Amino acid sequence: MSLLDALHNEMYRVEGVAGPDDERRRLLDLGITPGEELAVVQSVPLGDPLVVMVRGMRLALRRREAGWISIQ
Amino acid sequence: MHSIEVAPKASSTEAQPNFHSPETRSHPLTVCLSGAPNAGKTALMNALTGGNFHTANYPGVTVTLSRGKSKAQFGPQISLVDLPGVHSTSAVSPEEELSCQVIEGRHLSVRPDALIIAVDATQLERHLRFASLVARQHKPTVIALTMMDLLPRTQQSVNVRKLEAALGIPVVPVDGRTGWGAADLINALRDVLASSSIRPSPLADLPEEPVSAYESIRKLLTTSEALKNTNRFQLARDSITARIDHVVLHRIYGFPIFFGVLVGLFSSIFWAARPFMDLIDWGFKQTAHLLLAILPDGVLARFLAEGVVGGVGAVAVFFPQIIILFFLMTLLEDSGYLARGAALVDRPLSYLGLHGRSFVPMLSGFACAIPAVLAARTIPSRRERLLTIWILPLMSCSARLPVYALLLGALLPGAAWRAGLALGAIYVTSLLIGALVAGLISRLILRKRTASLLAMEMPAYRMPLVKPTLRVTWSRASAYLRRAGAPIVVISSCLWLLSNFGLGSHQPPTPEVTRPPLIASSNLDHSFASDLGQVLEPALHPMGVDWRVGVGLISAFAAREVFVSTMAIVFHVAEDPEARQQNSLLENMRVATFSGSSQRIFTTSTILGLIVFFFFSLQCLSTVSVVHSETNSWRFAGLQLLFYTGIGYVLSVALVVFLRLLGMD
Repeated sequence: MSLLDALHNEMYRVEGVAGPDDERRRLLDLGITPGEELAVVQSVPLGDPLVVMVRGMRLALRRREAGWISIQ
Repeated sequence: MHSIEVAPKASSTEAQPNFHSPETRSHPLTVCLSGAPNAGKTALMNALTGGNFHTANYPGVTVTLSRGKSKAQFGPQISLVDLPGVHSTSAVSPEEELSCQVIEGRHLSVRPDALIIAVDATQLERHLRFASLVARQHKPTVIALTMMDLLPRTQQSVNVRKLEAALGIPVVPVDGRTGWGAADLINALRDVLASSSIRPSPLADLPEEPVSAYESIRKLLTTSEALKNTNRFQLARDSITARIDHVVLHRIYGFPIFFGVLVGLFSSIFWAARPFMDLIDWGFKQTAHLLLAILPDGVLARFLAEGVVGGVGAVAVFFPQIIILFFLMTLLEDSGYLARGAALVDRPLSYLGLHGRSFVPMLSGFACAIPAVLAARTIPSRRERLLTIWILPLMSCSARLPVYALLLGALLPGAAWRAGLALGAIYVTSLLIGALVAGLISRLILRKRTASLLAMEMPAYRMPLVKPTLRVTWSRASAYLRRAGAPIVVISSCLWLLSNFGLGSHQPPTPEVTRPPLIASSNLDHSFASDLGQVLEPALHPMGVDWRVGVGLISAFAAREVFVSTMAIVFHVAEDPEARQQNSLLENMRVATFSGSSQRIFTTSTILGLIVFFFFSLQCLSTVSVVHSETNSWRFAGLQLLFYTGIGYVLSVALVVFLRLLGMD
């Protein structure tokens, strides 16, 4: 499933990162790598972006970007 | 994509003396501060230099670097360069590209002898991954471990000795905000520089590819026991930040809090700055009077007093507003709230083709477009950055305030609250029109969407400290002064010459003793500016105004509020005490008629037309100059000038014609 379907404050494991090459590389560089654990910790009033906790960092991701991240 | 913009020009001889002129070759050393964004580099720079650093431009590069000298207490001087934060070597913004050039030794003028890597102790894996990119260069390197005070909050502990042993690079814990550890950092740096060989670091052998690099870093940290993580994946970590986020990003309170912060910000910009602005205004007026009194009567004295001092003073009155803006912005940034604000408005802004980070420049634009254009640097994608810069002149800057005050005073005499309400409407409209322009341009002209990623870190909340905040404020404000200062002096001098010399009177008459010295109305009638105004008269007639207002519009290109003082000159207002001047100007404007007829100039339609003109028109050559230097393109800056001034003119004429058809005159 995609990160968009994640329940808040539940821990998931990254399965893969898709998206255009540059953006995909950027997400990997930020530490969203397959096998890493992450969780959606906060949503913002308009529902976009999501705040994701990964590698000790709170990261705001647009829904579009979160959709590229598949989790299990 | 950014290679043209940031590639330093080859053989730039003027670039060399900055860092490697012969006398500085051996001493002082150049040390670059690098790190991922939010690693605490700027605070560290402050601690190492004692706040004594300035931003510098490098030839062919549109990005500025901060450069400073190490404090005397740290021994022989070291020249420190603060590099913009970098996420990875797949650089996105021109700032990141510049950092990569310096780190990889590809930059022609900034060549570091050694590097300091700022590493956030609470996010070791991510920051060490960046450190590995630096370690690969095999240069003398020291790691500055920051955010140590946040470690307990995140239930982690770092063993500095074990980390140092595992990395093979000296690790020094520091707190840039208090200066703790700065001396140790410098000492470690000198030791590394003194040793003849660089110890091999396992970091240097990490692959550039992120997935396996992260894997190796985790292995390194766990086997060496450098990082103890009692609750590795527990989400309650840093519960303080989580709790604040639940409130400020709340579904219902989130936006009201955000707007409350903005209203507070603007109230302080306008009200807290007032007394300082009056003081500066008074100071410049006194200086001008003094110059006229001590210099021999003549063109030079009047040029210095009115053109240079007066012109610079007209712009300098906004400096308190800009300092307060920078101070509050720095405070918000350091506390961590600014990133939340950007996240809140990213959705609507990205719909318009902008970026969450566009909100900071747009906000600054309501004080002054110049710092706003500079603030657009943090927007990673070039397309979003340029689009943000494009709409910034629409934000109702404070130089428009005196103009609107005058025009609304003439339009709505007697009722201050109605003028206030109208002013509020103008501010909101300027934001909406800015959104409209951005939306139209991104949909109709820049249809091709380029790579754009929010992926913005929400840093941990921290209580900002006063002294570092003041230091950063000052360095930003002085950078602004340096950037805007020269164009303002040149432009206001030129405009003074234009309005005081003309073909009709090569010898400007010396001011009569009886006439107040600062108002030289008789020259204006025969000046180039009035010639220009009269040449432009056919174009001004559709706006319903005559050449005198035209002179005001031209002079407003120095700074918009100069319009008010020019109107005072052209409508022959004697220099009264400040309070009465506006009233007598309003009175003179009310009765002013076109020469040779009894038709009034300032009617409902023409005043509304002028307001519309000031709303759109890019009447600020300083902004044009800063836009040029930030975009590195005269075409962009020129197009922007023509676009807004053209739209302002067309809409103003259309409104005047329309209102006259309705019989509102």
